[in-house]
Amino acid sequence: MKTIVITGTRKGIGKEMAKHYLAEGWQVVGCSRGEGSIEHAHYQHFSLDVSDEDAVIAMARKIKASHGKVEALLNNAGIASMNHALLTPASTVNRILQTNVVGTFLFCREMSKLMRRTNNGRIVNFTTVAHPLNLEGEAIYAASKAAVESLTRILARELAELKITVNAIGPTPIETDLIRGVPQAKMDALLARQALNRMGEVRDVINAVDFYLREESDFITGQVLYLGGIN
Amino acid sequence: MPDRTAIQSLILESVQMLAEDFELEALKAPSPETALYGVDGSLDSMALVNLIADIEEALAEKFDASIALADEKAMSAKNSPYRNVASLTDAVIERMPS
Repeated sequence: MKTIVITGTRKGIGKEMAKHYLAEGWQVVGCSRGEGSIEHAHYQHFSLDVSDEDAVIAMARKIKASHGKVEALLNNAGIASMNHALLTPASTVNRILQTNVVGTFLFCREMSKLMRRTNNGRIVNFTTVAHPLNLEGEAIYAASKAAVESLTRILARELAELKITVNAIGPTPIETDLIRGVPQAKMDALLARQALNRMGEVRDVINAVDFYLREESDFITGQVLYLGGIN
Repeated sequence: MPDRTAIQSLILESVQMLAEDFELEALKAPSPETALYGVDGSLDSMALVNLIADIEEALAEKFDASIALADEKAMSAKNSPYRNVASLTDAVIERMPS
């Protein structure tokens, strides 16, 4: 059985992706700050902060001991904060950068070590359309995801020799906790900027992830795919 | 914590195995003075990355030690802590939980 590591599996897109890959016959290793919310014979959960270096290293060592190797990583865990830049405290900036950038980096670093002998590793990072759209009110969130995109493109080159592809997906807004609290008028204006003016759905994200994970996608790396017709 | 000799033996064994995999003649019979990376070293950056990952895995398996050998000076030609077996041993000892 192949093993996929998915961060942020307690709820939202991460949980749905975990359920999808379990149904597809993968062994899924998930994590979140709190307790896990998935009960399945092939699901293992770690409670940790993705930006805690020691905790991520310890998780990787345990996966190595229990699963031997990892075929894929979905760096889904992320946090957002909608605020005007002039009203955003440095503590929020640090919190967002820690989870979205440091967390993504640490999982790429540690899971790559477990993928290097598979000769067909896959990393999928998560960005956002808030970056190409330069959305007001999302300065720090969008900046953190711009960093994730840069990380994706450079890691694609650094990990190429280990036969690991590194790509990213930029979903449009999806009904999850991440966008709870965004005013409807703002959401309507955002949807109007998409070529396809509907809310995203989890199936849209899974479809794109499936594409990156396919064995035949071994010549696709360093790419960022935005959903909904954003570019 | 394992002593220096035990850690150094683990590193020498990892270097030897990597030398077989990467066909690096100069590293097939390593000693504490054997240069690894940078000046006079035989490892390129990818071989170094593989060696470090191998050593981390071996430390976890043999000594139940969960450490990362990431280091700001890792790729420095002159000052890399991974320039030879002895300096790499020092770097591991520094990071081992007491």
